[in-house]
Amino acid sequence: MPPPQEPQKIVLPGVKHVVAVASGKGGVGKSTVATNLALALQMHGRKVGLLDADIYGPSIPIMMGINEVFDPNTTAFPLERYGLKLMSMGFWVKPESAMIWRGPMVHKYLTVFLTQIPWGELDYLVIDLPPGTGDAQLTLTQTAPLSGAVIVTMPQEVSLIDARKGLEMFNQVRVPVLGIVENMSYFVGEDGKRYEIFRHGGGGRKLAEQAGVPFLGDIPIDPRVAESGDLGDPIVHKHPDSPVAKTYLELATAVSREIAAAGVPAPLPGLQL
Amino acid sequence: MPSLSARSLSKQGDEGLAIDWSDGHHSVHTWQHLRTNCPCAGCREERQQPPDPFRILKPSELSPLKPVRLEPVGHYGYKIVWSDGHDSGIFTLEHLRELCECPSCQGKQKREPPTA
Repeated sequence: MPPPQEPQKIVLPGVKHVVAVASGKGGVGKSTVATNLALALQMHGRKVGLLDADIYGPSIPIMMGINEVFDPNTTAFPLERYGLKLMSMGFWVKPESAMIWRGPMVHKYLTVFLTQIPWGELDYLVIDLPPGTGDAQLTLTQTAPLSGAVIVTMPQEVSLIDARKGLEMFNQVRVPVLGIVENMSYFVGEDGKRYEIFRHGGGGRKLAEQAGVPFLGDIPIDPRVAESGDLGDPIVHKHPDSPVAKTYLELATAVSREIAAAGVPAPLPGLQL
Repeated sequence: MPSLSARSLSKQGDEGLAIDWSDGHHSVHTWQHLRTNCPCAGCREERQQPPDPFRILKPSELSPLKPVRLEPVGHYGYKIVWSDGHDSGIFTLEHLRELCECPSCQGKQKREPPTA
């Protein structure tokens, strides 16, 4: 008879799927994609949470219109806005305060967000990662039962180089890459025509083909995306009939499909010594 | 994503660990070999230094070293917590497979020329 095996530590027991939104490069619109993807999933009738894992530069509070700091001793987290459950370091510290922390502190607070915040029953917990392949990414892949990662890139080669690094990191830690999204991909003019403003568009699709992962879609650039984000009312919620919002709804469908196809990764076998 | 995965783990007496892999291989590892090849930054650095003949042993090094816990890390590796408190090494599945001490793998390692 084999010795008893210790099950892997499980966090987020009521969450069916944890999805990381990542990129190697900063400034490609990860937080915008994560926020609008979470809302689009919710508009598909799912219960969704959004965790801002960018401890140094949280963006979710502004994008979701929550511009105040809460006392963790008297406030029940996660907060809720537009039907999404939300957690961010920005709810605990003032926006002008700089978080000057080394990796272990990032690890500590992310672990608190993942294991001590009562997320309850959710179909999806979308995690907005900071750029890079550092402490936050490692903590997440070591602590959370990730169903997969969505890689966000822009059409330019400089963005694609870092997106490749993100892909490689998820491969190394055996987290399925659900696919690649090309953000700010093209512009739709008032004449309804599509303009390839970066000329060499399609880099995200090529990267997906090279890496053998699905291409989940390209999202047009639209000034209303930034305006809505700054006003705390993301475009999928504020302008649900806009072309961008429709693209996000399609992205949510694609992400759900890929999660279903990938299945829940089996935990590693344990061993009681 | 790498397709090779660990199916089950078992103890080999007090001396070691065995892993059954998805490709059918049965790898064997002594705890001593695993500790000697700990992948943490501190141990890697130490292995690159010349041996210090005047090193003074810590009290925790006087008793025989043994593993206390083996914890899965994400979907990609294991952390071993040792009796001297050391626990910072994460052995990826690929690394564990490379460290297999079965006669077949040992022979293969000897036949292959060292990489630069």
